[in-house]
Amino acid sequence: MRYYKPITPYLFIAPMIGGLLLFRIGPILASVVISFTRWDIISDPIWLGLGNYQELFADDTFWRISGNTLLFVIAFVPGTMILGMAMALLVNRKLRGIAFFRGLYFMPYITSMVAVAIAWNWIFSRRFGLLNNLLLSIFGVETLQTLFATDRVPPAWLSDYPFVIASIVIVSVWKAAGFQMMVFLAGLQSVPQTLIEAARIDGANGWQVFRHITLPLISPVTFFVLIISIIDAFRTFEVTFTMTQGGRLSSGSTLAYGIYQNAFLWDRMGYGSAMAVVLVLIISALTFINFAARRRWVAQDVY
Amino acid sequence: MATPSTLLRSPYPAASTFQSQATQAGRRAITYGLLIVFAVFTVFPFFWMVVTSFKSGNAIFELPPSFVPDKLFQPDMFDNYIEVLTRHNFIRYTINSFFVSTMTGIGQVITSSLAGFAFARLQFRGKNVLFGLLLFTAFFPTEVTIIPEFILGARVFDPLLEPIGGWMNTFAPLIVPSFMVGSFGTFLMREFFSTLPKELDEAAIIDGANVFRIYRSIYLPLSRPAMTTLFLLSFINNWNELLRPVLYISSREMQTVTMGLTTFQGEFESEWNLLLTGSIIAIVPLLVVYIFMQRYIVEGIATTGLKS
Repeated sequence: MRYYKPITPYLFIAPMIGGLLLFRIGPILASVVISFTRWDIISDPIWLGLGNYQELFADDTFWRISGNTLLFVIAFVPGTMILGMAMALLVNRKLRGIAFFRGLYFMPYITSMVAVAIAWNWIFSRRFGLLNNLLLSIFGVETLQTLFATDRVPPAWLSDYPFVIASIVIVSVWKAAGFQMMVFLAGLQSVPQTLIEAARIDGANGWQVFRHITLPLISPVTFFVLIISIIDAFRTFEVTFTMTQGGRLSSGSTLAYGIYQNAFLWDRMGYGSAMAVVLVLIISALTFINFAARRRWVAQDVY
Repeated sequence: MATPSTLLRSPYPAASTFQSQATQAGRRAITYGLLIVFAVFTVFPFFWMVVTSFKSGNAIFELPPSFVPDKLFQPDMFDNYIEVLTRHNFIRYTINSFFVSTMTGIGQVITSSLAGFAFARLQFRGKNVLFGLLLFTAFFPTEVTIIPEFILGARVFDPLLEPIGGWMNTFAPLIVPSFMVGSFGTFLMREFFSTLPKELDEAAIIDGANVFRIYRSIYLPLSRPAMTTLFLLSFINNWNELLRPVLYISSREMQTVTMGLTTFQGEFESEWNLLLTGSIIAIVPLLVVYIFMQRYIVEGIATTGLKS
């Protein structure tokens, strides 16, 4: 039974569709067109065809920041997921004060990246920062040189490669882990207690229960966390802007920051768009792979 | 964790209870130990922010760094705070952030609840395709759409809106895009609306209510928790947003607190005591919101994780 005109539902979704067209789908498509031009916004665009892409693939800086982005993703995604899971297992108990710890671990996630990154900048500061002073007083110069395999110690965490990538990974993992924990925790709490007890009676130890019961049962949640982490891993503008500003010779830059740099600092809308298109393709490919691989490890209809 | 099963397994309940009490105490101690280790790592940057904010300009460059700030309990203890708030515009920045975040939060609730209602309860052509598209675009960060968005704003909206103040260097570009784009919000509201019993609208339809009235007077009042969650998450996200303010805002008095902080960092590079005071000022409103509204925020995140 219909109690409304066929047009009515479209009125409900009109604002959202407007936003989708103007600010999401439209720009993604427009990026492709702009990436074929040279455009400084002020004058009229000049058609280049594939010129920007040719330049991009011949540019060492592009390969460096793509490498940085890859490194970041490889470190960040497993890093937050493992840490988030560990924290979730830790706080998934009935102990006095556990709610306080949950709340505390989640806190970095809601705070502003800029504000906490500035605090980390101070910790990472080369001469007066806490980290290097701590490292020097524990290890001394020579041990540090062997440990980090470089003569330049203590390292400049915000400009020396690869330390600069390590820094932004540390801060990003530190900030995001609490979110992952909350999602994993919700998953863990939805696992029926009876299943775990049954396995226990059959003699399974803690690890076996986790590996063969908990983990398969929460696989849909793990999939969700994986997807969110990958999206997050490409959203590095804020951390790069605040901590490295790209770093010396782009040593601390990522694709997200490169887009900003080219388009808005150097007025190269076309070149920046070409980078954006590459990023769209990378994210689409990863998402596609994830959904294709989903059947292999994600349980269906477990609840 | 092991109590019920150990009890059941053991042929000697009494002895086993005794043993499991001992191991339980040990386990509990280890758990608390780990909890505290993680807590220290989580809190340390915040702690260090607070310590540094009570130091003087000379004390921050002392080696080794001191954990007790020199201004602590001195008459000039809050000088850094007063200086940052008044001389460096942070009161203005905070007001701007409040305005922008509140408006986007309200916008998100309106747009997402309308769309969420349609996706949950109404039938229309292209419904699945549109919903799929909406979720698909959620995969791409703002960085990949920002260039065309900026060009659209600078070349189309700005001249078009000239009579009412334009687009560039106003709050509009900070509010309108996140007002209208709400993949997460639409998803959240759709999930919530789907859990409400359908009999509700059937009774109203028989009484002759139209579809907008059903949305307004049945669904909206019932979805207050979901709307609160959405408002808060959107508020927090927009408070922390950096890219759009950096691109669109050029005058100092229009900056949000997040952007103001980066400007401040550029100008006072090595005055860490003042910088970290600014950081604290930028996150205190969020912490207050978080402490009082924690339940809504956490539940919202937990539901999305389970439902998707």
